Amino acid sequence: MKHFINVILLVLALTALLLFLTDPPAWMPLAASAEAGPVDWLFGLHMDVIIFLYVLVNGVLLYAVVAFRRKPGDTGDGAYFHSNTRLEILWTVLPLAVVLYFSYLGLGVLRQTTAAAADELEVIVTARQWSWSFEYPDYGIAAGELNLPAGRKAHLVLRAEDVIHSFWVPEFRLKQDTVPGQEKYLRITPTEVGAYKVRCAELCGTGHAAMLAPVNVLPPAEFDIWVQKRLGTYVEPEGGAGEGPGEEDIVALGQQLAQANGCIACHSLDGSKLVGPSWKGVFGRTEALEDGSSITADEAYLRTAIIDPGSQIVAGFANLMPANYGDTLLPSEIDAIIAYLKTLE
Amino acid sequence: MTAEAHTPPAGGISPAKRLQMNRLGLWLFLLSETFLFGGILAARFYLWGATRPHLDQILGLSVTAMLLVSSFFINRAEVAIKHDDRIEFLRSTGITILLGLLFLVGVVGLEWRTAPVNPATGGEFGIYGDVLFFMTGMHAFHVLTGVILLGVVAYLGYKGHFHARNFYGVEAAAIYWHFVDLVWVFFYPALYLMGVAVGPGH
Amino acid sequence: MSRTSRMFLGFVVGFVAGAVLLTVMRALVGLSPLAAIPALSAGFTPFFNALAPLLSAGLLLGAVGLMLGLDPALGLARGLVGMAIGFVLGILLTHFVRLGLGLGWDAESAWVGGASLAPIGFLLGVGALSDWLKWTRGMHTPEQHGPPAGRPAWTRYFGFDQNHKVIGVQYTVTGILIMGVGGTLAMIFRTELAAVGRQFLSPDAFNTYISLHGIIMIASILLGIGGLANYLVPLMLGASDMAFPRLNGFAFWLTVPSAILIIMAIFFGGWDTGWTGYAPLSVRGPIGINFFMIGMFYFGFSSILGSLNLIVTTLKMRAPGMNLFRMPIFVWAILSTSLIQLTATQFIGLSFLMVVLERNLQMGFFNPAEGGNVILFQHLFWFYSHPAVYIFILPGLGIISELLPVFSRKPLFGYKWIALSSMAIALMGFLVWGHHMFAAGIEDALRVPFMYSTMLVAVPTGVKFFSWLGTVWRGKLFFPTPMLFVLAAIAVFLIGGLTGPPLATISTDLHLHDSYFVVGHFHATMFGGFVFPFFAALYFWFPKITGRMYNERLGQIHWALQTVGFYTMSLTMARAGLLGMRRRIVDYDPALGVEGMQLIVTIAGYIIFLGVLIGVYNLWISAKRGQVAAINPWGSRSPEWQIPSPIPEHNYAEPFEVVGDPYDYGLPGSVYVNMSPSRGAAASTPAH
Ligand code: HEA
Ligand code: HEA
Ligand code: HEC
Ligand code: CUA
Ligand SMILES: [Cu+2]
Repeated sequence: MKHFINVILLVLALTALLLFLTDPPAWMPLAASAEAGPVDWLFGLHMDVIIFLYVLVNGVLLYAVVAFRRKPGDTGDGAYFHSNTRLEILWTVLPLAVVLYFSYLGLGVLRQTTAAAADELEVIVTARQWSWSFEYPDYGIAAGELNLPAGRKAHLVLRAEDVIHSFWVPEFRLKQDTVPGQEKYLRITPTEVGAYKVRCAELCGTGHAAMLAPVNVLPPAEFDIWVQKRLGTYVEPEGGAGEGPGEEDIVALGQQLAQANGCIACHSLDGSKLVGPSWKGVFGRTEALEDGSSITADEAYLRTAIIDPGSQIVAGFANLMPANYGDTLLPSEIDAIIAYLKTLE
Repeated sequence: MTAEAHTPPAGGISPAKRLQMNRLGLWLFLLSETFLFGGILAARFYLWGATRPHLDQILGLSVTAMLLVSSFFINRAEVAIKHDDRIEFLRSTGITILLGLLFLVGVVGLEWRTAPVNPATGGEFGIYGDVLFFMTGMHAFHVLTGVILLGVVAYLGYKGHFHARNFYGVEAAAIYWHFVDLVWVFFYPALYLMGVAVGPGH
Repeated sequence: MSRTSRMFLGFVVGFVAGAVLLTVMRALVGLSPLAAIPALSAGFTPFFNALAPLLSAGLLLGAVGLMLGLDPALGLARGLVGMAIGFVLGILLTHFVRLGLGLGWDAESAWVGGASLAPIGFLLGVGALSDWLKWTRGMHTPEQHGPPAGRPAWTRYFGFDQNHKVIGVQYTVTGILIMGVGGTLAMIFRTELAAVGRQFLSPDAFNTYISLHGIIMIASILLGIGGLANYLVPLMLGASDMAFPRLNGFAFWLTVPSAILIIMAIFFGGWDTGWTGYAPLSVRGPIGINFFMIGMFYFGFSSILGSLNLIVTTLKMRAPGMNLFRMPIFVWAILSTSLIQLTATQFIGLSFLMVVLERNLQMGFFNPAEGGNVILFQHLFWFYSHPAVYIFILPGLGIISELLPVFSRKPLFGYKWIALSSMAIALMGFLVWGHHMFAAGIEDALRVPFMYSTMLVAVPTGVKFFSWLGTVWRGKLFFPTPMLFVLAAIAVFLIGGLTGPPLATISTDLHLHDSYFVVGHFHATMFGGFVFPFFAALYFWFPKITGRMYNERLGQIHWALQTVGFYTMSLTMARAGLLGMRRRIVDYDPALGVEGMQLIVTIAGYIIFLGVLIGVYNLWISAKRGQVAAINPWGSRSPEWQIPSPIPEHNYAEPFEVVGDPYDYGLPGSVYVNMSPSRGAAASTPAH
């Protein structure tokens, strides 16, 4: 009896201590969507039970190691008892109840996080080796980054062109594979304005690690402005920014775009050969093409190489570059990228 | 590590027990194979759902009949050897092998060439062809191993290895043959009968 | 020439031949042969990436040369030569068939043909098929006993042998060797991951190494289990050998060419799909994927035959008086594991076969453009690979249940419950595979039931844990190395098990899936459920197997390094996963803030590696020079401890009878097995 009381006290004290010292939801990254709330709550609850069970088993073990260790010189045996049906039933039924309850909670949270809403923003997300693109059928625009208005539920329609990829924004706490030949869906209600990234979570080959795309949660007004800019219908308000962006800004923008659109997954800046040719010194170099001809990489060539990569394949490379950059990049953005390419000597 | 003592095993295994163990081993192997064919069937339903390709029903029925009849003959062979009737054993095994070979000719030689899923006949080689070739191919492979096994059994029987007190070899080959036959009993409807036939007919 | 110089010469010749051959092979599959070795000035990255396959090819053929130099008549040496011949024949055969069909040379089909025949060549060479081939000609072959006639005793470990103890040792040693390969790969890619940025591995090399690491470690688990089961089950049952000794040797020797094939994948562009080989990536990836899949196919075949043998042995060869509930608990664990292995393994073979067919015969099972479905692959794959994870742990948990009573001097608490919970886990394991596909987009009507069924597995596993607590309660515990490993196993497996339910709950899994949280989960389950118990078992039965005692001090150091290293590693992995660290990435975003954690994981990995290395050294050196051990140093009641160590060729001199329960420590006068008095009584008090 004495041992029982000791061990119960030990387990309770250790559990209380650990629960006091830890705060599982804080182990998660920033919660930027409405769905993150219930998920973090459930995860926290899981962790509480885990901590208790962990301490329970290890506490008893630890206690036994200390209290029931064999004294030097003793070669006798321990107490003889070998089963207790009531105990066995107890520790079958109790965990059974716990796991059933947790499944039930899990189902509830799943319902909550997949529920549809009336006014959803539809975005078609297309994944390919190794880049993302996003179309907004409501507005007729496309982009290489996912911009979402805060507070409005987005309904993502996920497609894959080649192999399986997976849409994951850790700050949103949701994940969905994109499956070739099928359409999958995901609902997200972004709440926190900020810049995040979608990270491809399913191994998809060479460029998997670099298959990232920016996700921006914008205040609704800013989102509208962005849409208008994409449509080319945006008018600067009176007294707004005066002269256009300077040379340096354009290069910086180009660099940023190259990162955001996944170019650097395939193009290195240091001369090493990845999936595509290195960008080091690309401008002005004489490029041998697959069809045997050669060409000097001037602005026009670079533009074609970006918009219609299949038309001029660089010798030694396969036609692997996505062909949709002409749709997802604005002409001004392509200019910026070319300006940036020129600086890479 | 293991000390080199050349003493014979402690309690050697009696022939009766050996037989029991062999039988159990065979049944476990067939259990394992059941999972293989179950998986193939599951894949068929996953990919074809409630449809199937247009196939030559007459051909399907004939090869099925051949296999079923062959099961009867291999049973006869087994009974015969249990009664030390070597001539009957050889005859029945021979017929079984023949029917097995005819089955192979029917499936691989005819169905594979003429099925409307074959590009050579102008058919669609889509998923219907793939699953058809896979199912029949995996089954035909097992029929082929069965035929080889029966060949070995027939050869040994001819040399006088099997008789009323030693027929496990025949029994094992027969059980395997029945199993392959049974698999076809499931494959045949899955290929020829179930679901709506799609694609060009014969 | 002395044997040493022959071995050295053989190695050098083999190494050079391997490097040359690789260059030719690369040319044949269309990889430029000369660009393979860039100058070091071009940077360490391309240099390393080119050198690694070259080195491995050299080492592989070098090993062949070494074997031939050691003794050309060794089974292993002949097997390797047979494998090479099988390769050549397979390539030629495929090419001629293609010519017959009016098709030209195709590197991929040729290598696939070669790889399919190579294991058969190996088996013929090693002699695993000789008896059966003789049977087809009506010849009778006696079972083989003792070392091959007229040759030194050690040679039997390198050739086809039918004794279950030899085969057990063969499995175990191969398992440890392979674990060394997998661990070395882990060290390579962990070094790459220690800091942000690409250090020295190309993305393709990284993908190849993690995939190889995963599957090789899994192979090493299967080998380790095969080792323990083959060695122990007949002994525990009182049998003189396994039910089918030839099949047993055959199953073992099948694993060797399979493992070689899997490793050979690096020479053919590697493979970039992870151990899971998901289609359609695996359909598009490099030729190496075929080698991985064909290797696993044969490995699976070996698993099936091995488990079949174990089931028959368990059901038919028990000593008189040993009813099912008087079997040592480890045998129950092996029985349930074998049931899964026997059946589910067909599915991994099936799914991989379909991929190889899709690649080589243009089938479209997983090609949506042809009406195929990529999700089908995942269903087939996980229908094996989930139950497989219970294959990995059930024997380990059996070891824990087997050793705890010995070191607590108490009966195993709730024997029947533990025995039946193994069966329950095995059977329920068949109903939960969908939990790996929660994010794959299967409908809720399917994934919700999978959530419930997965959670239910926690219940029988819990029964084991609580029963272990009942076992140590009020015992008299003592702590030699095996007991230390047992305790650590419980504590480590517990983390792995408890991280299961958050993964099993769909809504939380959608965050955790494919993150390092999962990586932490499965390393903890596999370490706690297999690696720790495996070492516990090795230390525990070491005196019985070798007749010598291991070094306790080194054992403790091994234990401490492995335990501390492992705790740090898995907890840190899980933590990084929560923050957004994805699996299978060669480089990670500094914005996640996980760089420090990655460094810790790498260091912890090195510590584990060092620990295991010390452990292996301990076992190696003690087998040669350890103190001579007592017959029953732990005071175990199990029958194998009552006979001399090392155990005689045919185990028990006379059959024994089971008259009591296996774990009645502390019950005065109780006896488990009745042996003839000359063989020593079933003493239940420790001898030291
Ligand atoms: C030895 C191997 C092993 C074992 C034993 C387990 C055990 C379990 N696993 Fe694990 N798992 C893997 C190996 C293993 N797993 C691997 C390799 C992967 C990744 C594969 C890949 O993608 O590469 C994986 C992935 C994996 C996933 C998919 C994750 C993802 O990719 O999104 C899930 C999801 O449900 C899961 C769940 C579980 C559960 C619920 C258990 C349960 O069996 C655990 C049960 C045990 C306990 C719960 C602890 C003890 C119980 C008690 C103390 C009783 C009381 C408990 C409660 C009331 C909760 N595992
Ligand atoms: C038993 C299984 C097992 C074991 C023991 C390990 C051991 C280790 N694993 Fe592994 N791991 C897997 C199974 C295992 N792993 C699987 C299945 C995957 C998934 C792969 C995939 O995604 O497809 C994986 C993936 C995986 C990843 C994720 C990769 C990624 O997704 O990017 C990482 C990352 O850190 C990792 C690290 C390690 C480390 C540091 C060890 C260390 O513990 C290693 C320490 C070294 C040893 C334990 C061996 C030491 C042995 C010797 C020294 C023997 C010497 C003998 C002689 C010389 C005779 N592993
Ligand atoms: C999936 C990999 C991939 C991605 C992503 C990718 N590329 Fe490429 N790129 C290639 C390959 C492969 C080639 C060479 C074959 C060809 O010319 O089409 C190439 C060629 C080019 C070239 C011609 C280079 C030369 O040396 O002549 C330019 C310019 C280029 N890409 C720009 C871009 C830009 C800008 C982006 C992003 C907006 C991008 N690429 C994204 C793979 C990629
Ligand atoms: Cu796309 Cu990983
Ligand atoms: Cu699982």
